[in-house]
Amino acid sequence: MKEICIPIPYLNDNDIAEVEVVVAGKKIKYDFRVESFPWEVENEFSTLADPLERSLARIYKLKSAIEGYSKEWELIQIFNPSENADHIHVLYRKKLKT
Amino acid sequence: MIKTIDLVKVFRTDEVETTALNKVNITVDKGEFVAIMGPSGCGKSTLLNILGLLDTPSGGEYVFNGTEVAKFKEKQRTDLRKGNIGFVFQSFNLIDELTVYENVELPLLYLKVSAADRRKKVTDVLERMKISHRKKHFPQQLSGGQQQRVAIARAVVTRPQLILADEPTGNLDSANGEEVMNLLTELNNEGTTIIMVTHSPSDADKAHRIVQLFDGHIVTENIRQIL
Repeated sequence: MKEICIPIPYLNDNDIAEVEVVVAGKKIKYDFRVESFPWEVENEFSTLADPLERSLARIYKLKSAIEGYSKEWELIQIFNPSENADHIHVLYRKKLKT
Repeated sequence: MIKTIDLVKVFRTDEVETTALNKVNITVDKGEFVAIMGPSGCGKSTLLNILGLLDTPSGGEYVFNGTEVAKFKEKQRTDLRKGNIGFVFQSFNLIDELTVYENVELPLLYLKVSAADRRKKVTDVLERMKISHRKKHFPQQLSGGQQQRVAIARAVVTRPQLILADEPTGNLDSANGEEVMNLLTELNNEGTTIIMVTHSPSDADKAHRIVQLFDGHIVTENIRQIL
């Protein structure tokens, strides 16, 4: 697949960036969505002083969010959360109907 | 071909202990093309180094072609690597003091291949990688794309069953990057198993399966829709 980089403004929660390309006269529409999953575990697991335990709790939370996500979308990329972030961003692309 | 069970890698210094891989379970079948993705520091390269027998796990099991290799000594790992596993790195890792020809010939020298055989294999692979006209040049005299083609030639000259690629297009422009990805896809179509670490979603699209790592854990594995 060839790549075209298109700068887009930051997306808010549930915003969808629709990209339409025409290749050799054939129109293809892609939908991208940056999802924002909760990343903070302090409130739910207040006893997690150990960083490893906290990391495990976060991973579990992320895995559950990904597993429960609509199957119409495929995961493209998990972004690195900034320090002390309470949400983690994940890029999805809507599956094309075949 | 590859199976890990609860693979763990911990890096320790006097003050800090970092768990780079935490109970990673991954299976790769012969002939598969698997991409490993995830943010910086999530353990991708650590996993690739262990799968390539360049490093040892701190715990868990690693079965390569039916043999448990996690506790192999350095010599055993080196012997198993030779001829079985080829590596392609982001920074090419060519030897600056050797010519293109000599760089590609090196793995065959380690395998004690005869001079006539070496000449044929190196010539063939340089032709295939469209770099034979540069065989007398040194790596620094080549463009990034050409250097990566030499690195791939060196990785495949022994006809390994497995190629491990760590960000193979990371230092290349898009045209050269695409050429490298086409070469890897071609090798995979001929039966070579490929495991590739990448940040690039479009490079990952070439793989049959994408494994997402995060903080040393496999978060998800999915088969990407071919566009």
